[in-house]
Amino acid sequence: MTAMRAASDRGAPAERAQAAAAAGPGRGEIRCSGLYKWYGQTAVLSGLDLTVANGEFVCVVGPSGCGKTTLLRMMAGLAEYDHGTITIGGEKVTAPLAQVAVVFQHFGLFPWKTVYNNVALPLRAAGLDKAEVRRRVAEAIALVGLEGVDDRYPAQLSGGMKQRVGLARTLALRPEVILLDEPFAAVDAQTREILQEELLGLWSRHRQTALFITHSIDEAITLADRVVVMGTKPGRVVDDIVVPIPRPRTVGSVRRHESYAPLRERIWEQLRASGSPT
Amino acid sequence: MSLTRNDPPVAGVADGARTASASLAASDAEAIGREVIAARRRRSKRDRRKFLAVRLVSLAVVFGAWQLYGMHTIAILFAPITTVVHSGYNLFAHAQLGSQLGYSMWTFAIGYLIGVAVGIAVGMLMGAYRVVEAAVSLYVFALYATPMVALVPIMTLWIGFDATAQIVIIALFVTWPMIVTVFHGVRQIDAELMEVSRSLRLNRRQTWVHVLLPGAVPFVITGATQGVAMGLVGVIIAELQTQLTGLGAALQTEAQTYHTAGALAVVLLIMVLGVTLRAILGLVQRFLVPWMRLDRGDGKRR
Ligand SMILES: Nc1ncnc2c1ncn2[C@@H]1O[C@H](COP(=O)(O)OP(=O)(O)O)[C@@H](O)[C@H]1O
Ligand SMILES: [Mg+2]
Repeated sequence: MTAMRAASDRGAPAERAQAAAAAGPGRGEIRCSGLYKWYGQTAVLSGLDLTVANGEFVCVVGPSGCGKTTLLRMMAGLAEYDHGTITIGGEKVTAPLAQVAVVFQHFGLFPWKTVYNNVALPLRAAGLDKAEVRRRVAEAIALVGLEGVDDRYPAQLSGGMKQRVGLARTLALRPEVILLDEPFAAVDAQTREILQEELLGLWSRHRQTALFITHSIDEAITLADRVVVMGTKPGRVVDDIVVPIPRPRTVGSVRRHESYAPLRERIWEQLRASGSPT
Repeated sequence: MSLTRNDPPVAGVADGARTASASLAASDAEAIGREVIAARRRRSKRDRRKFLAVRLVSLAVVFGAWQLYGMHTIAILFAPITTVVHSGYNLFAHAQLGSQLGYSMWTFAIGYLIGVAVGIAVGMLMGAYRVVEAAVSLYVFALYATPMVALVPIMTLWIGFDATAQIVIIALFVTWPMIVTVFHGVRQIDAELMEVSRSLRLNRRQTWVHVLLPGAVPFVITGATQGVAMGLVGVIIAELQTQLTGLGAALQTEAQTYHTAGALAVVLLIMVLGVTLRAILGLVQRFLVPWMRLDRGDGKRR
């Protein structure tokens, strides 16, 4: 498994595509079918079906409490589902998978570790040799523009910088699938747009499968190939909308695109019908 | 406009510099920046000085009152601070207060370290594993709620009256609050961080080394700091209730012979001991937990 991962990770795009084709549906395909989850007496998810193709960027929007985080945690192998199946790359999810990485809403950084060591921790834990760890950390830190702050502690960073560290940690793992739970919700509006564009740039390099949860309709349209709208009580998919805006995108180019306004309107209507968006 | 008077203008200058930055020459901006930083530094220095001044005044008032009251009351009941200090000096020079202090510090050190070590081990295991919690937390909380003084006569029955008994008693005073503090600390380690560890596929050993142990350090230090006070109570009670030794003996002898000044000197010595040990632990904390005292850039410590 690791050998295969290494081959598809480090190869040139063409090699990657070949490896992906050889592996069948692609190691990054997420398939949820007939998912149920109960907390106490209430059904949080009820028969949810969702497929994310290999290399696709899907945003999930939905009213607060509709089960978005629950869904993501189940995909990440962090929460159990009570009925149904989730497979990633054909593998049933019962624990966190090696090819999946999560970007957390509250950054999930260890306060007692410097930026460098936060990014390096999972690489060391995976048993990579020292030189490789150093190379990957340096590369990831450079990618997110954090050179020069490697030896700071998270408490010394702004919210935007913290989430850059979170992104760097994820990228250094070279995952096939990236799960992001409202990663930019805790940063200010301007930084948020900057981070969105940076994420688009980073994602376009390797086109990992991305599932991105957000409260913001604008953010969803800006980033996604497809926007999935969830309804509440119980949580389910109420709409699934393709975003026909070409890439590469910027925040500005998306806003100016002719389909932006109608898309926004449609998602807004769906959210209003399914419960108040927050 | 003054940058040095009080807090808001400092923030105001920073904001002003930001909004007006388009019209500021780079050198002007730099000058304002330097001024802001200097003002911030002056402010925190002033805060520290004010703190110190209040403390000195308070010391002067308390010791002054002590001195005055001591000079106008009968010697059997109280003594002025100068007499107390002098008696202390005499006890060191002409009695065995020095060796008594040494003995007490020796039993304290051993009992305290045992209590802390057991506290860390049990507290962490109880916090990290539900099974351990289910098995032992009942007894821990029961003993935590029990005044340890009540166990002293039983300890003397079981172990006797020697230094071993004293050490066990001191350890008992230290360990229960230590366990409880560390237990709650491990539990408080952000649930999200535990989830992050799982997501990053850390194994059990890696989770302990990189998450649980470093996360528990602040709580271990809090527990160890409380433990100093508990352990000192333990020392004196052990020495008064088992074999009369150390500072307990000094206290007892002075009080029973109506040398109130001498007894107060011993009490003062115990206080100094406690304050010193806590200060040492404060330094240990600064060293072990550098991420908790980082400058947020506003001159205030987090
Ligand atoms: N551990 C839990 N125990 C009980 N209820 C929970 C738990 N986690 C989430 N819930 C409930 O499940 C619902 C969905 O939560 P969540 O997935 O966090 O929603 P979202 O991320 O869409 O805001 C909410 O009503 C929430 O109260
Ligand atoms: Mg959520």
